[in-house]
Amino acid sequence: MPSDAPSGEFTPQKRLHGLSWIFVAVDYIRHFIVPLIAAVVLGAQDDYALWGLVLVVPLVIGAVWQQWIYRYDFGPSGLVIHEGLFFRNVRNIDYGRIENVDTERNLLHRLFDVAQVRVETSSGGRSEAVIRVLGLPAVKEMRERIFSARDDVATADENHEPDVAETLLHLGLGELVRYGLIDNRGVIVVAALFGLLAQGGMYQAMEDWLAPLIEQLPFADFAAIGPLAQAFFILSTIAGLVAGTRLLSILIAFITLHDFRLTRNDEDLRVHHGLFTRLALTMRRPRIQVVHQKASLLHRLFKRVSLRVDLAGGMAASNGQNAQQGQTRKLWLAPVATPEKAGELIRIALPGVHLEGLDWQQLSPRAQWRLFRLLSGIWLVISAAPAIFFLGWWAPAIVLPVMPLLWLYARMYVKYTRWALHDDFFVFRRGWLTRRLSIAPRNRIQSVRVSESPFDRRYRMAGLGVDTAGASAGQIRIPFLDRDAARMLAHALYAPKFQRGAL
Amino acid sequence: MTEQSVDRGAIAAWRVSSALVGAFVLLVFAVVAFTSRLPVSLTVPVLLLLFAIVVVLTWWHPAATYRHLRYSIDEAGITIRAGIFWRTQSALARVRIQHTDVAQGPLQRHYGIATLKLYTAGSHYTKIELPGLAHETAIALRNELRQEGDGDAV
Repeated sequence: MPSDAPSGEFTPQKRLHGLSWIFVAVDYIRHFIVPLIAAVVLGAQDDYALWGLVLVVPLVIGAVWQQWIYRYDFGPSGLVIHEGLFFRNVRNIDYGRIENVDTERNLLHRLFDVAQVRVETSSGGRSEAVIRVLGLPAVKEMRERIFSARDDVATADENHEPDVAETLLHLGLGELVRYGLIDNRGVIVVAALFGLLAQGGMYQAMEDWLAPLIEQLPFADFAAIGPLAQAFFILSTIAGLVAGTRLLSILIAFITLHDFRLTRNDEDLRVHHGLFTRLALTMRRPRIQVVHQKASLLHRLFKRVSLRVDLAGGMAASNGQNAQQGQTRKLWLAPVATPEKAGELIRIALPGVHLEGLDWQQLSPRAQWRLFRLLSGIWLVISAAPAIFFLGWWAPAIVLPVMPLLWLYARMYVKYTRWALHDDFFVFRRGWLTRRLSIAPRNRIQSVRVSESPFDRRYRMAGLGVDTAGASAGQIRIPFLDRDAARMLAHALYAPKFQRGAL
Repeated sequence: MTEQSVDRGAIAAWRVSSALVGAFVLLVFAVVAFTSRLPVSLTVPVLLLLFAIVVVLTWWHPAATYRHLRYSIDEAGITIRAGIFWRTQSALARVRIQHTDVAQGPLQRHYGIATLKLYTAGSHYTKIELPGLAHETAIALRNELRQEGDGDAV
């Protein structure tokens, strides 16, 4: 047990779970071996398999060694970790700075009742520590020790509420189906599969295998069945493909978001989801920078929206493996929710925010014309040459009818793109077909930048970029503002007189 | 809020550094063209074109950069305007400054010029730079901006 010696002499005692080496080794192997296996399978080069074996043994030894050396414990002021194969490293992470203790459990973890723990601080970039792996009781203890210590440091509140988790959102079967249909990730998977097959030289195989099949097809019969039946046949094939990818999307939704649960625990919002790999994420409310709401055409068809949050630091990594995780791990507040529910969640995530009675401001009055010119210019450049090549004098018949559509799009885009400035927060919504809404409390805004391209200057316009500490997923950028409005807005946003402690 | 230019000496420093880079590029191209025996009818026009670009970049560009580079400081923080064609105006509040650098290269040191770098906890513009300041001004600016910094970072 830790003694309360000064932190300099504090030596951690606690060890990793006894089977940690398996997970460390698996992780190593996944990094090294998967590309090799891919090369073996797709490139059919047997030498690599041998090399793979030669590599595995030292990796396992390294993993066991690492587990032997690794120690962690709860010091008087922070979490202390001893680690390192050759270069010993002692890391102190102050309780007050620890924002999240997130866990991730895939099937293997769940088989052994353990979890991979990620300790996140607000310093941005990479996780402060990734602990592979701890038994579940140890994780529970770690959470309790860290968060109780943190709260003692932070508030010393006497009547501090005990852990009562309030479920804010739970996605049932119906919602997951809706999410799958809206998200339609199946298409991406199918496309990726095709790409992979093409890479692996599978085209040749397909040619050998498909060509005889195609030759056997009764083309003569197909020609004989008449145009109506042909159209029916083609349409049903397309419908089948669409239905197939949608089903796949629903399946993916079931796997990744199974039992999605958003709970509130005092200042923390927690998200749990996943069928095989179970994710548990903690978002501290003061760390939430921006809330994004998205409503695509499909979202609106199902009367749903999705909500995402940007956390400070967390996902801003640009190097190493965390960058990948940052891209793959969307910080959902709600993958799918009714607009009413979303409004409720926004108010919980960012207390004090409301969307009623705001003074919505438009883009520059010249924005519609400019956007139309931009779109039509792009359209002409893309379409003119092929149209003239294939159609000759009939080219305008294809090229010109698109113009009114572009005009309509520009008109609607500008109509639905607005911003509003409240004393405490800034709201920006944009887009017509896909409507996005971003809400940033003003005391989270780090810096603002007005940019004027030569085109902007011609139209007396400017763009405005608003930077927060967690904008890796896309900063707020407003194009086509009236220049004077942009400058005034920039000045209002950066001046800190509104940076009060309300939020 | 009065806008100020950076130090005029910066123009000279930028010109010298562009001239050095330009001379190096011209030299490399000349050597490559000579050793690979490119036809003179190709080498001479390209050399002339490169020379013209180098002249523009060493003579006109530093002066234009200087003309368009302005900063102003108010009670809230600092605003920097920069850019000849693509113009930006970055505004950063004092309380958002995480830490600062005053950086000088060898050439800049010779001309007494320094670059003030302001770091934020943001994710896109984590570093906002103000180049071409006189060294003392850069130090003074840094001190002025840091006076009531140390606010809550995130």
